[in-house]
Amino acid sequence: MASSIPIDVALCSNAFEPLAELQQWPHHQSNAATGIFIGRMRSQGSSAEELEAMQLEHYPGMTERQLQHLASDAAASHGVRAVLIRHRIGRVTPNQALVLVAVSADRRGPAQRCCQALLEAIKHDAPFWKQEISRSGERRWIEGNTPL
Amino acid sequence: MQQSSGSITVRLFAALREQAGWDQRSWPLTSGADALSVWQALGFGDAIPDGTRIAINQEFESPRQQLQQGDELAFLPPISGG
Repeated sequence: MASSIPIDVALCSNAFEPLAELQQWPHHQSNAATGIFIGRMRSQGSSAEELEAMQLEHYPGMTERQLQHLASDAAASHGVRAVLIRHRIGRVTPNQALVLVAVSADRRGPAQRCCQALLEAIKHDAPFWKQEISRSGERRWIEGNTPL
Repeated sequence: MQQSSGSITVRLFAALREQAGWDQRSWPLTSGADALSVWQALGFGDAIPDGTRIAINQEFESPRQQLQQGDELAFLPPISGG
């Protein structure tokens, strides 16, 4: 079921500051509860090697629409008031923010549950692909996600 | 050999794109073609690997969904976002 609540989705080709994004998002101040997730790039790769960077590829057009669709479905399922998504694309370096999900609702339960469900949906159903770049210059595509 | 009935656009991403050496190409559409038959005709193998998903016109679809003239067919290797 789709939702008509405010859903704010953006792909960021440059580094973004999650707390600044939240400060500009009015809904966490006008609702009683906000669930927030901030994901940052790890400094170690899937084989424990030190990483120089990561390249995040997406499917222009489909990725944006899929994020809107996933947010709308999650919002309707959990009965929340507003959703914010920011997701990096392009070259990312360790400790930079990769993803921000924020969900505002009138109670903590829906806000937290929706935030977690939406993050998992993004990880599995939004077309993004990560390529690790090690300090030695080796590149490796990551298939799938880290454990919950 | 099946008759051609127009063309589709095939798109590849991430590891698939690098393995194939191209990201987008026009491909002749044969009667009754679906994503699996295009995958095979491109020489990628007999079966679409587990975890590789299909999008037609930027919507997830079944590999057996019949293709139409002008469709954009994308093969999406396992997703790793968030």
